[in-house]
Amino acid sequence: MSNGNFAPNGFGSEHPNPLLKEYVVLRNRVIPNIGEIEVYLENGGYETARTTLTTMQPSAVIDQVKASGLRGRGGAGFPTGVKWSFIPKDIFPKYLVCNADESEPGTFNNHEIIDYNPHQLIEGMIIAGFAVGATTGYIYIRGEYAYGARVLEQAIGRAYERGFLGKNLWGSGADFDLFVHRGAGAYICGEETALLESLEGKIGQPRLRPPFPAVKGLYAKPTVVNNVQTLTNVPMIMKNGVEWYRTFGTEKSPGTFAISISGHVRRPGNYEIPLGTTLRQLIDDCAGGIRDGHELKFVVPGGASTNWLVNKPEHLDVPLAWDDMRAIGTELGSGAVIVLDDSTCTVAAAMKIDEFFKHESCGKCTPCREGTHFLTKVWERIEHGHGRTGDVPLLADLAKEMSKDKCFCLLGPSSISAVNSALKYFTAEIEAHIETSRCPLGYTHPMPHLSTAEGSARTGQAPALVR
Amino acid sequence: MPDVTLTIDGKQVTVPQGTGVVEAAVAAGTEIPTFCHHPKLTPVGMCRMCLVEMGTPKVDPATKQPVLDEEGKPVIQMMPGLQVACTTPASNGMVVKTQTAEVEFARRGVLEMLLTSHPLDCPVCIKGGECPLQNLTMRYGPGVSRFDYEDKVHFQKPIPLGPLIDLDRERCILCSRCVRFEDEIAGDAVLGFANRGRAWQIISKSEPPFNSKFSGNTVDICPVGALMSHDFRFAGRVWEVKPVPSICPHCPVGCNITLDMRYRDIKRVQPRENETVNEIWLCDRGRYGYHFVDSEKRLTKPLVRRSGVLVETTWGEALEEIAQRLYGISQGYKGDVIGGLASGRLANEDLYLFQKLFREVLGSPHIDCRSGAPDEPEHDDLAYAFGVGSGTDLGELGKGAAVLVVGADPEEEAPIYLLRLRRIQRKGGELIVANGRPTKLDGAATRTVRYRYGDEAAFLLGVLSAIFDAGLENKAWAGEHVKGLDTLRRALQPFGVAAIAQATGVAEEVIRGVAETIAKAENLVVVYGREALAVGTPLLQAIGNLLLVTGHVGRAGNGALPILHHNNSRGALDMGVRPDKGPGYTAVAQAGMSAQQMIEAAGTGRLRAMYVAGVDPAATSPRVAAALNKLDLLIVQDLFMTPTAELADYVLPAAAFAERDGTYTNAERRVQRFRQARGFEGESRADWQIFASLGRSLAQLMPTASGSQAKDVRTRGKASAAASTAPVARPWVYRSTDDINNEIVKTVPIYSGASYSNLRSSGGVWGRQSTHDPVFYDGTSYTNTEGYGVQWPTLAEKGGVTFDLVFSQPELVRPVAGSLMLVAAHRLYDGGTLMQNSDALQFWVADPYVGLSRDDASRLQIVSGDKVRITSSVGSIEVWARIDADVPVGAALVPDLEKIPLAGVQTGVLTPVRLEKVEG
Repeated sequence: MSNGNFAPNGFGSEHPNPLLKEYVVLRNRVIPNIGEIEVYLENGGYETARTTLTTMQPSAVIDQVKASGLRGRGGAGFPTGVKWSFIPKDIFPKYLVCNADESEPGTFNNHEIIDYNPHQLIEGMIIAGFAVGATTGYIYIRGEYAYGARVLEQAIGRAYERGFLGKNLWGSGADFDLFVHRGAGAYICGEETALLESLEGKIGQPRLRPPFPAVKGLYAKPTVVNNVQTLTNVPMIMKNGVEWYRTFGTEKSPGTFAISISGHVRRPGNYEIPLGTTLRQLIDDCAGGIRDGHELKFVVPGGASTNWLVNKPEHLDVPLAWDDMRAIGTELGSGAVIVLDDSTCTVAAAMKIDEFFKHESCGKCTPCREGTHFLTKVWERIEHGHGRTGDVPLLADLAKEMSKDKCFCLLGPSSISAVNSALKYFTAEIEAHIETSRCPLGYTHPMPHLSTAEGSARTGQAPALVR
Repeated sequence: MPDVTLTIDGKQVTVPQGTGVVEAAVAAGTEIPTFCHHPKLTPVGMCRMCLVEMGTPKVDPATKQPVLDEEGKPVIQMMPGLQVACTTPASNGMVVKTQTAEVEFARRGVLEMLLTSHPLDCPVCIKGGECPLQNLTMRYGPGVSRFDYEDKVHFQKPIPLGPLIDLDRERCILCSRCVRFEDEIAGDAVLGFANRGRAWQIISKSEPPFNSKFSGNTVDICPVGALMSHDFRFAGRVWEVKPVPSICPHCPVGCNITLDMRYRDIKRVQPRENETVNEIWLCDRGRYGYHFVDSEKRLTKPLVRRSGVLVETTWGEALEEIAQRLYGISQGYKGDVIGGLASGRLANEDLYLFQKLFREVLGSPHIDCRSGAPDEPEHDDLAYAFGVGSGTDLGELGKGAAVLVVGADPEEEAPIYLLRLRRIQRKGGELIVANGRPTKLDGAATRTVRYRYGDEAAFLLGVLSAIFDAGLENKAWAGEHVKGLDTLRRALQPFGVAAIAQATGVAEEVIRGVAETIAKAENLVVVYGREALAVGTPLLQAIGNLLLVTGHVGRAGNGALPILHHNNSRGALDMGVRPDKGPGYTAVAQAGMSAQQMIEAAGTGRLRAMYVAGVDPAATSPRVAAALNKLDLLIVQDLFMTPTAELADYVLPAAAFAERDGTYTNAERRVQRFRQARGFEGESRADWQIFASLGRSLAQLMPTASGSQAKDVRTRGKASAAASTAPVARPWVYRSTDDINNEIVKTVPIYSGASYSNLRSSGGVWGRQSTHDPVFYDGTSYTNTEGYGVQWPTLAEKGGVTFDLVFSQPELVRPVAGSLMLVAAHRLYDGGTLMQNSDALQFWVADPYVGLSRDDASRLQIVSGDKVRITSSVGSIEVWARIDADVPVGAALVPDLEKIPLAGVQTGVLTPVRLEKVEG
């Protein structure tokens, strides 16, 4: 099952993790080959699901998850038990969808769970399906995770063979069928309503809300959409109880979080940490600190959508928990910490981030479709030495035109995090780009052909000659 | 539903619950600009143009009561940020602010963003002048763009999206109105999107592309010039055209249209808003099928046969000669030897004069509005007695309503009815579609019934039996208004549900289910089309009995709705262009011959002369042509040199609908006015003018025949004031259609409300919200200034009438072993005379074929693409075979196309035929 390119037990498993006493999610780190069903069973696998389904009422399961304080790991941190309790009791069928479309730049913790610990996810889905009354589950996995999809298919096959999936599980009368659906490579399909559209076979674009998926989700039926990591937590909560679970993390953000740290650190990788650990601890104790001879410049703390944090104590000593992060104006997001040191050009970084969002904008609403393009164009010209006076206020204006209330979903507003952050902390550097017509850090990017990207992407033809 | 009151920009407005904030703002007289939102489509909130500030009364979470301030007014809690107005329903106490700095900033932002990929080629854009993007940019947009031109999107300029519609992807602002129209309203999911982000673009998913009969509407609702009618592209600028109100001449729906005229040219046809007829839609045949008016083949001069050849003549000469010869024939042989055919394509005024000419001047009872084709229907009197009640709005039928569609294919026969009937299911009503084969309406039906061809009437008798079985008849109503209930019940005994189920192949529970649905429905409309009409009396009686027994007559939302053949077939019947009834369905002293009998009589020499207006009987078969050839005198009045005209002694060129005034009566009995948009083509004249001239000449020759009429004329309308001083008014003087209308209003009781002034002032309130608001319908000539038309009242509506239930035994036509039943299926795109010159539409005219079920085809060893010969007792035709899953076993379905000489094989409604392969 292990992939030769990676460490045998996970991404960055060769590095020590001094902050965690017991693994909740990334149990593959301590139990080698837990992805094999035999190994998983030896370690008590599917026992929790069996006990839950045969001895508990669905409402009791929801209550226990509520009491545990488990919050969604996909980005918003919404309490999972509360989400489950929104599902209407009297509409059938209901669906459980696992959002495995992990596409936020910098995030790869779901990837590790899928590749190395698939059975814990499946067990979590069986329990969650039982709790909400869903008899069918889908794992919507991003298309690029071809290997992960195969791992899941195999694991599901093994589970079916042993009767852990299918009809009348453990004689409890509960049914649960599970399917893997591969996405086609769109970031927006990580947004839950776009995911549902895509799962239904339509073009992946967010839906109008209300109605919310809990009422009208997949095929207009009540649907719970949970992140991979969220669901992977569920068997441990049910097995070890609420008190045990609350020994990790903070009061409002209990549990652990497998965080993906990348960028200019010595030991990038996934680190499962108790929530509430500070950013400084994560960077220094887990990831080994900034590489030699450099200083931290800024951190993108929760995936490319989140506002940046910079090298100052009130930012570095923030506990990694949803409410604390929100208090300083950013998000814990999907648990993707990108660390960038002083060799980074702010403009290039912001340009890259906005290029990503431009590429991934679904096109449904005007501000996002056109705004991400506009932003990228402005960043590009600043970075390549063609910046104009007035570009800084222009960026600020565009960011306001694309703010949260102006766009259909959160993709557009996500793209302005980089703009707002860059303008907030590094205006001088941007202005230096514009005034000196070059990157002060000495970056020389070749100037791209005018309109090439657009011309070819949209028409498949050479760009129109302008002027 | 209860109303809600909200405040928009300080102005209080009350709207029905469920109204969107954008619509509520219209009611309050405020504009909230939109691009993606359209009042006929479900809101999506994509373009973000309609962002406004919104607040709702603050509610105390503990008491659930609104929080009040010191003055006792509810405290308004404004929502964070801006809110989307189009997707938010108005609620009680809501406060909306549309003019704040924040809102203006957002609008400016959205417009700036939209224009970053828009080419701004307004000077050459077809939408320029009626473009919402242009208009809203002027009103709300930034003066200059901060975006570089070279970064705009660049695409190949228009690509065909379908045969009729071009797409300019550069201009498209991706509002998805077109996609949603096709999905939601037309039910043709043929459009979709490809790619994403800025590369997102409209594509056609169907093969052939944009396979919808309503594609032109997407051009109307497109808020930019992205979708263009190929027909109108570079044909003119919209501010140069003068809109003239008219009525579509193609089918009995009678869509209200506007002819956009530039000097003499019709530049385009646009729908004109009429919520009870066509709303704001138009089918593609109506929109693009106007080119026949400009055809080079139009007759422009009267022709006369001299030495066997048709040569040009003058009107004076032609009319004088015709009058003399008709006079001669009628004097020598009596009027009884003159026959007249005038089609339902003529206007009411023409038809009225036509029958008057025959009945009062020539003294002939032989007139008909049919052509004499073998499968032509009985005249429909059902709608006279219990047609859909005045005020019926098919689009509004919903909960509690049931619609039974029998033997009709609305998509092909009356396309707009498809759009309007499709909605019933969504609104909670029942739509039962009964037919011998699947039609597109099946997709929107709550129940479909499939009977064998020829069993239409039997099926309905089964339903009647089921109603009696279950005791579902409306005893209270029927007891008062209906006679013969018991007789009918007895007569139905051989048609018990079980027997009918066996005979028709419709399951018993289906028959009982249909019976229950329609008997219990609050409102019931029975729509029947050409295939049902052709069955004739038994079916019409069954429908009538069904309506009477269940008491579904004489009220709005109830009654019979026949889809007749031509646009004004209803008017032709109303005007008495039929052998057995006079104008207004009055009895006639002596019934004349029907079209079929006339043609037969022409062949035997019983008829000496015929006057044929707008009908082409000779085209149907060589037998008819031979019969017409035997006439002493054949006068043909038409737009074109038809096969019948080729045989004529006199050919009189008639004016097209765009060249004259008049009224048409649609299938719902709605009399609607159309206006002259341009002068006559060549020397052609309006039909009524020709009839009036002839009438005048003949009346002078035969003064006694119209003596009484002369008096009428003298005391008529405005002329009456002058009558005392100038008593010399000659009979048959009609200066305009107004004069004829005055006479119709006076002499035809059912038309007493249909005076031109009434038609024009017929407004009516369609909901409390102005639907022709420029905010929504920008870009088209929707505004209706010509009135919504007047429905004449049915017999049942008059009250105090009792009806006899009559019953006639249906003939069950059964195929002889080994033969198939030939079914002629109506096609919207029939390739007929009214489609000529409309080049773009020719794409959709099917190639001649015969559709066979797989079973029959394999039995006959025929595969798709084989050429087969269809032989009946009277003749044969050769067409290509096509195996068609929609054709039932035992049927051979032939589309009724101009190119297929169907009458050459038909012997009646259903013709038993044999098929054989000619070549593989």
